[in-house]
Amino acid sequence: MILLALADPGRVARGQAIGPGFELERAGRYADAASVYFTTVRSDPTNIPALLGLERTLFVLNRMPELLPLVQTARARQPDSPALRSLELRVYAALNQPDSLEAIARRWAASAPQSEAPYREWGLALADRRMWDEARHAFLTGRRILGGDGTLALELAELEQRAGNWEASAAEWARAVTRSPDVGPNAASQLADAPAPLHDRVVRVLTGPAVSMRARRIGAEVLLTWAQPTAAWAAIQPTLAFPDTEAPAALRRFADLAGALTTPEGHRVRGLALARWADMVPWSLGARARAEAVRELLDGGDKVAARRVLEAHSDPNGIAQAALIQLLIADSQLDIAEERLSAAPATLTADDRASLRLALAKARVARGELDRAAAALDDDSSVAAIAQRGWIALYRGDLKSAMEAFRAAGPYALDRAAATDRTAMMAMLQRVQEESSPELGAALLTLARGDSVPAIAALRRAAARLPEQGGRLEVLLLAGQVAAQKGGDQEPTAIALFDEIVRVGGEGAAPPAAELEWARLLVRDGRSAEAIPHLEHLILTYPNSAFVPEARRVLERAKGAIPKS
Amino acid sequence: MKRRDFVKAVGRTVGLSVGAGVFGFRPTVRLSDSPSLLIPMDDAQSDHLKAYGLTYKAIQAGLKAEWLLNYRGGSFLIPDLDALRRDAALNGIRTEPVDSAMTSVRGEIEANNMDAVPLEKAPKVAVYAPPNAAPWDDAVTMALQYAGIPFTKIWDGEVMNGGLKDFDWLHLHHEDFTGQYSKFFLIYSGMSWLAEMVQRNSDMAKRLGFQTVPDLKKAVARSIRGYVENGGFLFAMCTATETIDLALAAHDVDIAATYADGTPLDADADAKLDWRQAFAFMSAHIETNPLVASFSDIDGHQVNGGARRQPLGAFKLFNFSAKIDPVPTMLVQDHRQVIPDFYGLTTSFTRNRLKPGVTILAEEEGAPWVKYIHGDLGKGTWTFFGGHDPEDPQHQIGDPPTDLSLHPHSPGYRLILNNVLFPAAKKRELKT
Repeated sequence: MILLALADPGRVARGQAIGPGFELERAGRYADAASVYFTTVRSDPTNIPALLGLERTLFVLNRMPELLPLVQTARARQPDSPALRSLELRVYAALNQPDSLEAIARRWAASAPQSEAPYREWGLALADRRMWDEARHAFLTGRRILGGDGTLALELAELEQRAGNWEASAAEWARAVTRSPDVGPNAASQLADAPAPLHDRVVRVLTGPAVSMRARRIGAEVLLTWAQPTAAWAAIQPTLAFPDTEAPAALRRFADLAGALTTPEGHRVRGLALARWADMVPWSLGARARAEAVRELLDGGDKVAARRVLEAHSDPNGIAQAALIQLLIADSQLDIAEERLSAAPATLTADDRASLRLALAKARVARGELDRAAAALDDDSSVAAIAQRGWIALYRGDLKSAMEAFRAAGPYALDRAAATDRTAMMAMLQRVQEESSPELGAALLTLARGDSVPAIAALRRAAARLPEQGGRLEVLLLAGQVAAQKGGDQEPTAIALFDEIVRVGGEGAAPPAAELEWARLLVRDGRSAEAIPHLEHLILTYPNSAFVPEARRVLERAKGAIPKS
Repeated sequence: MKRRDFVKAVGRTVGLSVGAGVFGFRPTVRLSDSPSLLIPMDDAQSDHLKAYGLTYKAIQAGLKAEWLLNYRGGSFLIPDLDALRRDAALNGIRTEPVDSAMTSVRGEIEANNMDAVPLEKAPKVAVYAPPNAAPWDDAVTMALQYAGIPFTKIWDGEVMNGGLKDFDWLHLHHEDFTGQYSKFFLIYSGMSWLAEMVQRNSDMAKRLGFQTVPDLKKAVARSIRGYVENGGFLFAMCTATETIDLALAAHDVDIAATYADGTPLDADADAKLDWRQAFAFMSAHIETNPLVASFSDIDGHQVNGGARRQPLGAFKLFNFSAKIDPVPTMLVQDHRQVIPDFYGLTTSFTRNRLKPGVTILAEEEGAPWVKYIHGDLGKGTWTFFGGHDPEDPQHQIGDPPTDLSLHPHSPGYRLILNNVLFPAAKKRELKT
């Protein structure tokens, strides 16, 4: 510090002098802060921090005219300082003297004929005063004098956006990105905020016939952020016909953005993008991307495109083998899938192998092939396989083994929906005293295979063999839920089943659950007035039931007290 | 009871009762000793919003109820009847039977910054909204619907034909009383909902004999002002707060953009505004750009003001003296004192645009704006609450409606419902 002070004592003194000004300004004591800044400027007329401090404080105090002579003096002393030139423009703008402002800006431009800075600062000073038309004139003057379609496009894009002219903003962003690809992400992110009613117009600007490839890619990204993946893919595709050096990076970014979409359409478009990207990058990267593309295409329900990707590329490393077997299972070619799985190369990961075995077992169950389903799981000891073995045991009627397997699998195996299904089934089985019930197992298998109507009848038959408080009501409830979900001519069956359960009553969860389902069915059919007494009966009869909060919501909806969701 | 008499009389009466207490008098209000149900409004309550509906139903049925200001979050006391218990059970409202325990409750109320206000007349509620507006279009109708408080929708026709006199309480929400269609006309041009809004308003103006929609809305604003002067309770949110004052102040000035009335706005409009006519604001500057969905610098947040837009913070409710200032105390009863802010076309009110004498009920500390204000006009009162939906802070056009069954403890919605019940409060009789 001593050495520094010796080297430039004036600078330290100035720093110390201006410090309290910042503190006073931060405390909201603008007049006191301005006094400090004035003192500093008197001893050092070109002190930019002090002049900027005056710009801030005098604006608040409505004393901007006092700043003008100081800034003019400073600028005369340092005519090449862009900071002082900009400040001078802002002061004129604050004083609402647009004519003088223009004269000053043009004088600056004459001294720096190749620079955009005078026009940029001139326009920004006006834009900060919300003088949109005047600011536009300043930027466009710069563009005309300096030449170049993309000159000051970034500034114009932001100006038009602030003024609410989203189409004009999009056109300027298109120019800006054509001039400099670095502004692409910013352009996409800014335009994503356009109001929904203007989306079509903005897209038309970015994807019209005359726009550059870069602009079109921005249009595609914006469409993705608006959750329009198919339109986005249509927008980016023409830019890939003769790929330029920017295409791989643009496509990868597109695929990453599509990853945020969880709809089948989103998965499909991401799969298409990855497959195309895989063709542009080295083989090792491409093979992985292709495998991911197949998975995405399958998730998007486009088996044809997935097959096309697989068929177009042999895969000696086996990275796409998993995707191919997944495709075969989805196509119900289970025997071929099984063969491929046993002959799969060692490069297939253990996780892929386990996941394919599980998918195969589920597909076998759907066909009613319980033994082959069990065999497909092999000696897999994962919790997912244990849970699947539980379902197989259940369908065989071995209720005890099913419960043990579900317990062993725990509540976190597989996804939340699968865990919920297991928990619901365990809740039902807990009420059933028998260790074995082939009728119930067969009925549940019929249900699992999607044969709802025969399943309802089979569940009713199985329930009839169980004691009233020993699982019968729970099995009837399941039958009723299936019938209600089926709707149509099954609705009377559902209502008869719910009615039976509610009339029997008792301490289990089935009666309030049945009454809630009954009410939901009535609401769904537009018979809300009939549903209300059921819901009120449920709430008042079973005040401690876990179904009461949901019953209250349905009641609110039936009464019209909350919107339909 | 003359509705508005309560507002001032209650302050005087309570002031006397406090003083009288020192000399051995008891409070002027005698609370019933019959079995009662306490509806706690602190964190023990399982559905704060429906609790207001239950209390409303009790007084609507001609029963006596009391509002225990500042006691357990502003609890209610209603008679212990089977029908009310059943209603509470069905709606998931927590109630606590009290009889002998009330003695100590009353002692606590007497000894602290609390008070017991009798509620006796269920106010007749009107909501100013276009005929086809869904109940989910604004926060107040949602709150009323959810709480089960009946209301009648009225619009320009009813207002201009003197229909307001049939109601105790009037609510305004996002109506633009400057007649500029919330300044969405240019931004959302071509949208069917906007076209419908323009058509509906133009038809109404024609039917009622006004040349332009801005003229009609100014006349409606004047009628609403007259309603308050004659003793009405006005509660406004969102754009209605700012634009009704702009419309009143602009009675002889054109502040509407060309698209709204066919003529450009008066270049000297700011200077010609007559703020004596306004409820709450003064000296504001009009936003003249028809492409910016903002009306003036009354709103502190300028949600559509581009770079002027301010981020959301949290607002804090003031703590008033229950025995001296019962009206503002009622309006700020809540189980939370600091509440997250929420945007609206008008989100907040700039401090230096408030008229002297306006009571600030809630503010963002350190910010140049306030959130919730109240005042008197003639025999009536008005309350303005900035923002659109307390549980949808970034509300956008087309957003799904808020499902209040997912927000039964909403402290922001409680403030709305305080306003509905406050006109039910009975003035206290002066001891002479």
